[in-house]
Amino acid sequence: MKLQNIWFVVLATKINFYLLEYSLKYISRYKYKNIFIVLIMSTLVALLASTFFLSNAMKSEYNKLISNYPDIVVTNQQALRDTTINENSSYKILEIKGVSNVIPRVWGEYYFLNANKKFTILGKDEYEMYSNPLLNENLNLTKDSMVVSLNVKRILEDSYYDDYFNFIKADGNVKKMLITSVLEKSTLINGELLIIMNKESAKEIFEYSKNEVTDFGVSVANKNEIPFIAAKIKTIFPSAKITLKEDLKVHYENIYNLRSGFFLTVFIISFFTFFIIIYDKATGLNSEQRHEIGILKALGWRVGDVLNTKLYEGIIISLLSYILGIGLAFIYVYVMKAPYLKKIFLNNYSLISNYNINFSIDYETLALLFFLSVPIYIAATIIPSWRVATLEADEVMR
Amino acid sequence: MSLQQIFKLFSLTLFLSATLFAYPQITQNIKDKKIYPMGQKIYKSKCKEKDFTNFKTYNSLYNTLNKEKACGDLSKKNVEILSVYLWDIKLHNSTSLEKLVVTKDEKCQVCGMFLHNYPSWVSRINYPKDETYNFDGMKCMFKFYFNNKKGITDILVQDYYTLKTIDARSSYFVVGSDVYGPMGHELVPFNDKKSANIFLLEHKGKKVYFFDEITEHMVRSLGH
Amino acid sequence: MIKLINVSKIYDKNVIALNNINLKFKEGETIILKGVSGSGKSTILSLIAGLVKPTTGSVLIDKKKISKIPDHFASSFRQEHIGFIFQKYNLINNLSVEENILLPLLPLNLKKIEHQKRVQEVLELFNIEEKRFALVKNLSGGQQQRCAIARANINNPKIILADEPTANLDEKLSLEFIEILKNLKSQQKTIIIATHDPLFFELDFVDRIIQVKNGEIIYDIES
Repeated sequence: MKLQNIWFVVLATKINFYLLEYSLKYISRYKYKNIFIVLIMSTLVALLASTFFLSNAMKSEYNKLISNYPDIVVTNQQALRDTTINENSSYKILEIKGVSNVIPRVWGEYYFLNANKKFTILGKDEYEMYSNPLLNENLNLTKDSMVVSLNVKRILEDSYYDDYFNFIKADGNVKKMLITSVLEKSTLINGELLIIMNKESAKEIFEYSKNEVTDFGVSVANKNEIPFIAAKIKTIFPSAKITLKEDLKVHYENIYNLRSGFFLTVFIISFFTFFIIIYDKATGLNSEQRHEIGILKALGWRVGDVLNTKLYEGIIISLLSYILGIGLAFIYVYVMKAPYLKKIFLNNYSLISNYNINFSIDYETLALLFFLSVPIYIAATIIPSWRVATLEADEVMR
Repeated sequence: MSLQQIFKLFSLTLFLSATLFAYPQITQNIKDKKIYPMGQKIYKSKCKEKDFTNFKTYNSLYNTLNKEKACGDLSKKNVEILSVYLWDIKLHNSTSLEKLVVTKDEKCQVCGMFLHNYPSWVSRINYPKDETYNFDGMKCMFKFYFNNKKGITDILVQDYYTLKTIDARSSYFVVGSDVYGPMGHELVPFNDKKSANIFLLEHKGKKVYFFDEITEHMVRSLGH
Repeated sequence: MIKLINVSKIYDKNVIALNNINLKFKEGETIILKGVSGSGKSTILSLIAGLVKPTTGSVLIDKKKISKIPDHFASSFRQEHIGFIFQKYNLINNLSVEENILLPLLPLNLKKIEHQKRVQEVLELFNIEEKRFALVKNLSGGQQQRCAIARANINNPKIILADEPTANLDEKLSLEFIEILKNLKSQQKTIIIATHDPLFFELDFVDRIIQVKNGEIIYDIES
């Protein structure tokens, strides 16, 4: 390929609609092959895009959930197992400069035998300031009342508990709690089976003693100080487990990380399929196609004109596939809420049972998929034709 | 019994009864972090805007809340929290300074960097007639201050540990620590000397200075 | 004015297609290149059209050395000045007659009206108007040839080159083709035909007959 040829290669400055029409007719002359390519490529794009969209939606939901967690959670341990902690120890932590609040939290799970489900119980003090806005609302809880989420209400109703529920304590006695209201769906971030009640009642159900609490939620004003404060807490409570909000984020990212099995499989399959398509295109044209280019050269078409038509052809096919694929992914994830894919994600990796999928435009994924597919396909379309078009036309036609 | 013994018994009883309802021993830390916020919440939800500034002693305030249930039915613990809150606030009558909030477009007056990326480092100098300047960090603020001392109404910075707005002219600053601001080496502001000293130890600071001990030379030697 | 000066063409495996030939063609001349297949006559046509470059020597058309100019300009030159009728017609089977005829004009981005005008002209001129929208693969041999001729004339070239034009035609169609040639000659076009069909050797409007054999010019006579 001579240097001059590169000069005159693609006259991309103006769109020649005759050449465009020629490209369209060319595509329809190889109708079935091109339909096949579009189908395959758009499926690949849709698959990859769905995976990205879904994992990003889940990531943002998870981050929203995490954002309500305290900066540091201090859990007492005995024999490296989680255990309760004395409320009064929180004063030691409060003395640390930089700590803005310490909540002695009472929360846990309760197993409901009839429905084979675990309820999450959150204990709430009326006047404490919590990091979770859900708990800061005024829920009008009395000593014997509780607020439940919608899914809990349904489960209880199925067992004929309409207005109240009997919690069975370890000593066999029963604690009756009245259901005063149901939490709206919008206030919940995930589909946990949630019950919120007075702290004292929760303590009673869990059979905590007077000063016993589940753990401490520590809030830190200046985020820069969190690791230092965590270290100080560790020296005050050497046997405690210290969980940082940042660590939870990293933990999650590792799970939804691209290295994990599912993603890897999807990528490998997509890559190979795409590679096959590109390879087929790039290894050249059949004799009929070469002949046609030779004819065009003989009729006075320049190399640039031939490549222009190839450019249009490449753009039409790959852009169409891309748009179709992205459109399908959008519908699948945001309208249909990703039926089977979601199950795969949740079952394998989730700590949480359900997610809302909120619409958001993920520009990074869109750009990534675009640049991985469209330019490569266009190149694979143009390059073999380039080789053919720069040969002496006479050779091509014999 | 002799007169002396009776007197001893009487004063003992008096003393005991006094300590029964005495103002509780709580550190200022606990008060700031737990008592005041909780007390405020209780007051807002239960006391219906009642005025509690007329009480002469802590005990009388406590009694009104406890025995006469002036704010409704509250647990003993909550009554105590509320009493301490009301007593201290009445006594101190402190109004906290405004939080230093900046918009997305605001820039540092000296170096031109956008402020909203480093919200915990924002500082401010106010002049009369709503003339106000923001800075990203103490270095920039001091550079401006030394050249424009005239007519300043107040200088506001954020305490490093609590991020509460404090008056710079009664604050302490630590130099030479391993904590960097948006412009590199910084003076780190603190509300009180104790906090400054704890920070100095933990973050390998060189020295603690009061506001008026800081010179232009010091600020320049911190580099850009 | 077409000139071939000391032209040799050697293909890769030392196949000598042309061996140091010299030729001159005047404007408006009708020339027959006579010879069997493989004699080199088709190569001469390809050289004039600029489809191949000579191994040695040069090809000049109207003083322009087309053997030396880059491919880009050679293609433009070909588009403007040369109409080539191939032995196998080289039409695109799945396109219509009109679409095939218009192919040479597409890169020029002319107005649609211009396209319509020119297409109409050649369709009438070469008598294939009724097959305008038919696909080439559905045409008979004669119709395909007329389509190829129409295509070669769409840009009104000064030089018409035809390579074995009657090889696939019966006598009737061959005579029709000769009629068309007469027509073209009357338009002052330079016509060069490479053929071994004896039908051409007796024609009165032919100006020269050049015998080519084994890459060399045997004789060059005015008729």
